Amino acid sequence: MSAIDVRGELRSFIEDNFLYLRPGTELADGDDFLARGILDSLGFVELVEEVQTRYEITVADDEITEENFGSIDAIVGFVARKRAET
Amino acid sequence: MARAVRHRGPDGFGLALERGAGFVSTRLAIVDLPRGWQPLRSGCHQRGAPPPFATRSHQRGAPPPFATPQGGGLLVYNGEVYNHPELRADLRRRGEKFESESDTEVVLRLLERDGLAALHRLNGQFALAWWHAEARRLVLVRDRFGVRPLYYALSDDGTLVFGSEAKALFASGEVSASPDLQGLDDIFTLWGARPPRTPFRGVSQLPPGGLLVWEQGKLTAERAWWSADAGGGAPRGDLGELLRDSVALRLRADVPVGAYLSGGLDSSVITALAREEAGHRLRTFSVAFSDPLFDERAHQEVVARALGTDHHTVQITPGDIAAAFPEVIRHAESPLVRTAPVPLFLLAQEVRRHSITVVITGEGADELFWGYDLFKEVTIRELHDREPERALGLLDQLYPYLGAGGARRGPAWRRFLLETGGRDDPLRSHLTRVQATATVKAFYHPDVVAELDGKASSVDRLRSELPESFGRWSPLQRAAWLEVKTLLGPYLLAAQGDRVAMAHGVEGRFPFLDHRVYEHAGALAPERKLDGMRDKIALREVAATLLPAEAAARPKQPYRAPEVAPFFSPDSPEWVRDLLSPAGLSEAGIWDERRVAGLVRRAQAGRVEGIRESMALVGILSTGLWHRAFMGQDAGGYSPETAEPRVRIDNTSEAAGKELA
Repeated sequence: MSAIDVRGELRSFIEDNFLYLRPGTELADGDDFLARGILDSLGFVELVEEVQTRYEITVADDEITEENFGSIDAIVGFVARKRAET
Repeated sequence: MARAVRHRGPDGFGLALERGAGFVSTRLAIVDLPRGWQPLRSGCHQRGAPPPFATRSHQRGAPPPFATPQGGGLLVYNGEVYNHPELRADLRRRGEKFESESDTEVVLRLLERDGLAALHRLNGQFALAWWHAEARRLVLVRDRFGVRPLYYALSDDGTLVFGSEAKALFASGEVSASPDLQGLDDIFTLWGARPPRTPFRGVSQLPPGGLLVWEQGKLTAERAWWSADAGGGAPRGDLGELLRDSVALRLRADVPVGAYLSGGLDSSVITALAREEAGHRLRTFSVAFSDPLFDERAHQEVVARALGTDHHTVQITPGDIAAAFPEVIRHAESPLVRTAPVPLFLLAQEVRRHSITVVITGEGADELFWGYDLFKEVTIRELHDREPERALGLLDQLYPYLGAGGARRGPAWRRFLLETGGRDDPLRSHLTRVQATATVKAFYHPDVVAELDGKASSVDRLRSELPESFGRWSPLQRAAWLEVKTLLGPYLLAAQGDRVAMAHGVEGRFPFLDHRVYEHAGALAPERKLDGMRDKIALREVAATLLPAEAAARPKQPYRAPEVAPFFSPDSPEWVRDLLSPAGLSEAGIWDERRVAGLVRRAQAGRVEGIRESMALVGILSTGLWHRAFMGQDAGGYSPETAEPRVRIDNTSEAAGKELA
């Protein structure tokens, strides 16, 4: 699966699960979820769980950072790095 | 008004007309069947009317507050005082004579002799109104835990209207129904409106353990007469004996008493004690689910067999929940975020079919003995602050019923559970629930958001009302107090307790909520309640002497019911689609149409799986039903009572005191 596919899947997951609660909100790939109010702390939990399950990667405690999960771009990069490790 | 709450007292009603006041009481006959009718008026020496029962002053010096040894009082009350035989015997020793065997007469006499100090001697569940015509004074009192409801509304001209349910107030014609957004915000934060607030603007509920005094057209006092604050000192008495006595007291009735058996530890202990104390074959009742995820039938049957009860089970399907939901909301008089009250509504219906009008249950034990997972979370959080590795290990063992341990749900979930709220946040134990529930509020209509903006939030109001000593309590004591104040009273004993049982004229009785048992538990050393992950230790020791080992050791399974399936299956009722449509949503105006449409699409696609969205769905649907029932198309229509009262007291003329029975 390419980075483009990951990006598309993530976008549709976020639109489907979170953006419907914020009608009219446009989200760019680099936008910060927390700063834009797209996700609350529980939404963040759901997002991380989704990434773990969908891409079959193990996320360590210290990897739960905004750097890895803060935006669509960040997650795409994180998933690519984790896959490269295996 | 009587007609509006007839379900609470289907056996008849009585009324009293006083100058400037009127009282009506519907009766569920449990004690002294031929004579226990209300309202009950005591004799009035000053008027020279023949006293049905004389009261005498027994004290020198200043009388206790509101003591009226000259009599003349009138009492209406819902509930039971279980220790009335002992109180009656004591009053007889003090020279009182009684006309009936009813607890009502004992309560009135005791109040007249000892004033409000008498309340502390009452062991029971009650909402009472005590009127003194001479002083033009009304005292409203609610029992310690708020088992019995009591609503009131005070208008600008000083008129006070009160009743067991808000619908009685609306039926009076003196009070109209409209939403109270802060009351709703309580529900979508903590699952129930916190007294004195209700979801209705201008309608209050007396807090558990509270009283109110209205004199000469003015509210002159509103205060607590009992407090659930964390106990101190050494526990008094032996837990097993206290529980046995509490059960024995709660079996006192002139009608057969049944028991609810959930399959868990608490109701099993109560049922075992009841079987021994009752001396006859006890009838037990259980909820079972067609969905094995929620079903506890196997455990219920183990206990029922071991105790030899005459056991009955009601199996609940998702369709049953959808069908009964509107009626449950009408009785609960509140939007809900869970469907769990519905099976208990259907269970009470079954109980009534067996001609049982009183049931004892295990309610309250999880609050007293720290049985909920919420308390284990507190322990794990505290441990995590010191030994993170061990805490993570324990967390993985929690929530096995979710189908995935903490580890499988992953580090983000762990961190949410462990790190929500700061270490010193007084509400730390409850913030995960608050946050999960708050998802419902993401669906608010912008107008609602705007109206709530600038008003104190539900959480802020709770923070500002914590007792002064709260900061000195341990995290577990704080959690227990919050659980009693925010969940037990406002939700479990209300929508999931009194309302769904009384909908069918069934009275629930709760031996764990005997104040002696509560105070005993409050004084127990913490490790006698929760030691690491071992819960309810003192209670399990009692259970071990009464139950099969399997039942005494069984871990808690939270009681839950299907939330989404009832409303999103091919044969779901028409009102679901109707209420979720733009037109349906605009009736209450609480929810934003576009956001809800997104949720509905997800539900239709079978993708609403988590607790957060299911709470939102149930919250939105129940708000629509609640609005329709009280403010919309189904509102009003409170027909006048046409039956004859069993008691009529007319005290409006000079020839006061005419009494017909």
